[in-house]
Amino acid sequence: MTPANAMKLNAVALYAISAVLLVAFYFQFALGELPCPLCLLQRVAFTALAVGPILTLRHGPRPGQYGLIVLAALLGAAIASRQVLLHIMPGDAGYGSALLGYHFYTWAFFGFVAAIAASTAMLLFQSQFEGDAPRPRPFETAAVWLIFAVTLANAASALLECGFAWCPDTPVHYELLYKPA
Amino acid sequence: MDSSIAFLIFAATMWAAWRRDPRVAVFLLALGMLFSLAIYLHHATDVLPLSF
Repeated sequence: MTPANAMKLNAVALYAISAVLLVAFYFQFALGELPCPLCLLQRVAFTALAVGPILTLRHGPRPGQYGLIVLAALLGAAIASRQVLLHIMPGDAGYGSALLGYHFYTWAFFGFVAAIAASTAMLLFQSQFEGDAPRPRPFETAAVWLIFAVTLANAASALLECGFAWCPDTPVHYELLYKPA
Repeated sequence: MDSSIAFLIFAATMWAAWRRDPRVAVFLLALGMLFSLAIYLHHATDVLPLSF
């Protein structure tokens, strides 16, 4: 695999992370499902996943950058698995709606495991670490700015939901928009 | 607010990865992950009423 192809795949990974966060936004704003603290933390972990690919696009592929993805994915998988275990008892309805039969925290767990598997598979292609990496193309630069914008939008959304305090365990309204009767 | 700070740390990490020294990005990534772990441990002590 050439450095250029590795960079393209890292850009695709950034688009995939942005897509995950945008789908979560759709369910939050279009369907009115407020994310819980653990849900927000899983979104945070998805943004942490993006740092390795951005380093790859800017400085060329390095093995350590895939290591950063694995570390971020382990953190995300730990958070998602805790939420899965909180709702694993028979009769528990789970938190939020389901997509294709699984709740979002279950999908998040699958996503983090997939990130670990993909990073490990990428490490098998030694040739991407040899030779000079090309400058990032518009397709790759756009991926970086998209995930950066989505991360800032998540910061604003979380502030709107939680206000200037710890996020409530079970959020029912946006703290900064709420006016008690 | 805790989650907003975490998102902002990772936004700063992305900025550093794209515009600055990679070592700054790795430092900020470690800081963000430790902060996220602290939020996780804070919420690990939440009282969660059973729904069944």
